[in-house]
Amino acid sequence: MNGAHFVVQALKEKNVTQVFGYPGGAIMPLYDALYDGGVDHLLCRHEQGAAMAAIGYARATGNVGVCIATSGPGATNLITGLADALLDSIPVIAITGQVPTHLIGTDAFQEVDVLGLSLACTKHSFLVQSAEQLGPIIEQAFEVATTGRPGPVLIDIPKDIQVGQSVAYQVAQLAAKQQILDAQLVEQAQQMISNADKPLLYIGGGVGMAKAVPELRDFVKNTGIPSVCTLKAIGCIEHDSPYFMGMVGMHGSKASNLAIQECDLLIAVGARFDDRVTGKLDEFAPHAKVIHLDIDAAEINKLRAVTLSMTDDLKLVLPAISTNTDIAPWQQHVNDMKIEFANRYDHPGEPIFAPALLRQIAENIPSDTVICSDVGQHQMWVAQHMFVDRPENHISSSGLGTMGFGVPAAVGAQVARPDNMVIAVAGDGSFMMNVQELGTIKRKKLPVKILLIDNQRLGMVRQWQKLFFKGRYSETILTDNPDFVTLASAFDIPGETIVVKSQINAALDRFLNSEGAYLLHVSISEEENVWPLVPPGAPNDQMMESVE
Amino acid sequence: MNNSIVIKASNSPEFLERVLRVCRHRGFSVDSMSSQTEQPQQTLSITLNIVSERDISLLTKQIEKIIGVIEITLSKPQEIKATA
Repeated sequence: MNGAHFVVQALKEKNVTQVFGYPGGAIMPLYDALYDGGVDHLLCRHEQGAAMAAIGYARATGNVGVCIATSGPGATNLITGLADALLDSIPVIAITGQVPTHLIGTDAFQEVDVLGLSLACTKHSFLVQSAEQLGPIIEQAFEVATTGRPGPVLIDIPKDIQVGQSVAYQVAQLAAKQQILDAQLVEQAQQMISNADKPLLYIGGGVGMAKAVPELRDFVKNTGIPSVCTLKAIGCIEHDSPYFMGMVGMHGSKASNLAIQECDLLIAVGARFDDRVTGKLDEFAPHAKVIHLDIDAAEINKLRAVTLSMTDDLKLVLPAISTNTDIAPWQQHVNDMKIEFANRYDHPGEPIFAPALLRQIAENIPSDTVICSDVGQHQMWVAQHMFVDRPENHISSSGLGTMGFGVPAAVGAQVARPDNMVIAVAGDGSFMMNVQELGTIKRKKLPVKILLIDNQRLGMVRQWQKLFFKGRYSETILTDNPDFVTLASAFDIPGETIVVKSQINAALDRFLNSEGAYLLHVSISEEENVWPLVPPGAPNDQMMESVE
Repeated sequence: MNNSIVIKASNSPEFLERVLRVCRHRGFSVDSMSSQTEQPQQTLSITLNIVSERDISLLTKQIEKIIGVIEITLSKPQEIKATA
């Protein structure tokens, strides 16, 4: 067995059934091995698309996503996807071909120092330097990608090692370490919780990554503690949970941001005090003691000094620290704020109001639908106005904010969950960044529904230009966009354009009930902005709620 | 603030590069350093004298996450003869 077949065999042993990639010179032996079958490969039309499809696959399933590229430009095209996976802690394995070992360092054709490039955008990376290393490295790569705080791992494999004889490797069976919680910390956390008058849960993406959603929901049910969540944690709490106020931060709900500023105990669960959450850090949750629960010790005290921290598995911690509370006035206050500051959808005139459209879609799709969002205003509207009840059903580039993410992520999600509806919500700017992935949708005949919200602008940048750059719209006007419906039709994807509210119901009927892929192109006004907005550098209770 | 950290790690060609990248990215300057491979265990011993206004624990916790780290010890700055 050569090294390439060894890799495919190892993937099978790791229960990898699907990979995403793009062939090229230095990875040809691996593609030759894939040709024999056993692991399905989906050809994406750009390596960045392959990386993001792997992310979508991983996020929709909780399993490892795998992407493959050749050396040089193939590998560099993966980099943005790997950075995206790093910022959102997604378990992705990237396998890249490399020039033969004896040519490394000679500036050979399509040679680039991929290991060097990977240092800042992966959890770990490997350059395989001998056939003997191949087995242990693949084993370690999966271990690193999936344990602790998950993340992307790159394996760079020179061509001579792919074509050369492989060396058998026996996987060591390691006994699982039993975690024991610190009883003193548990007791202290319980005391802090039961003594608090205004406790608040700040829920982050770590809850979903730890597969601790049931434990979190039990904790919330048992304690009655109100909660807010980050962009990545949408779905961890049921959207209609009594004291859940939705997303917090720059475009968070008013109730969430005010609750943060008022609480006297903040329990951060798998969250990392990102600047888009905290606003002005010094004035974030100014009255609160902080309990920080996170598997990554490097997050503790990184941005916010905490009173108590635990870096154990959330599945163990959350049940252990659950305790009685006596917080009826605080719960009532939260409820009052939820009612007072609830989203409003009244919108005069005929032009389509994207938040209301997204809400209407959310109310009319099966609960197991996966929403993949691109990046920009539409992403925030999705977060604010659509609702999902599982974190696997809301896939959004949260940490890196990668435009072009939505469509390839939807490709990965649809391949992973063929029986569920997958909707990619894109903006006209983001859509064009990975538009070539329509070719992947066509190739695999994926029934991805694309909701393209088009204001002929780079809307989020324009919004900031309007608010903070005196309305100087530098390079954000996209009135020269292509005809998107015609563009989709070139990939055999049917579609239609709607521009007024009266067209919505019939169009949604066709969109949601189409058998295959469908593009619903929604034209909206460029004057619509995302509210509320915490201006950069301001504390979270100083939200702007309109242009005035 | 000046601090010295000694990192013991499994040897790999790029380990030093990983450590230095983390130092720079996290806002810590390396004032002086030494690095040597210890035979026959093939471990690497790196001593870094670090300058930063930031709490040194912010760096050591990040370095601890680098795959291959065996041990990190923190001490006051040491005299380092230029090697590596």
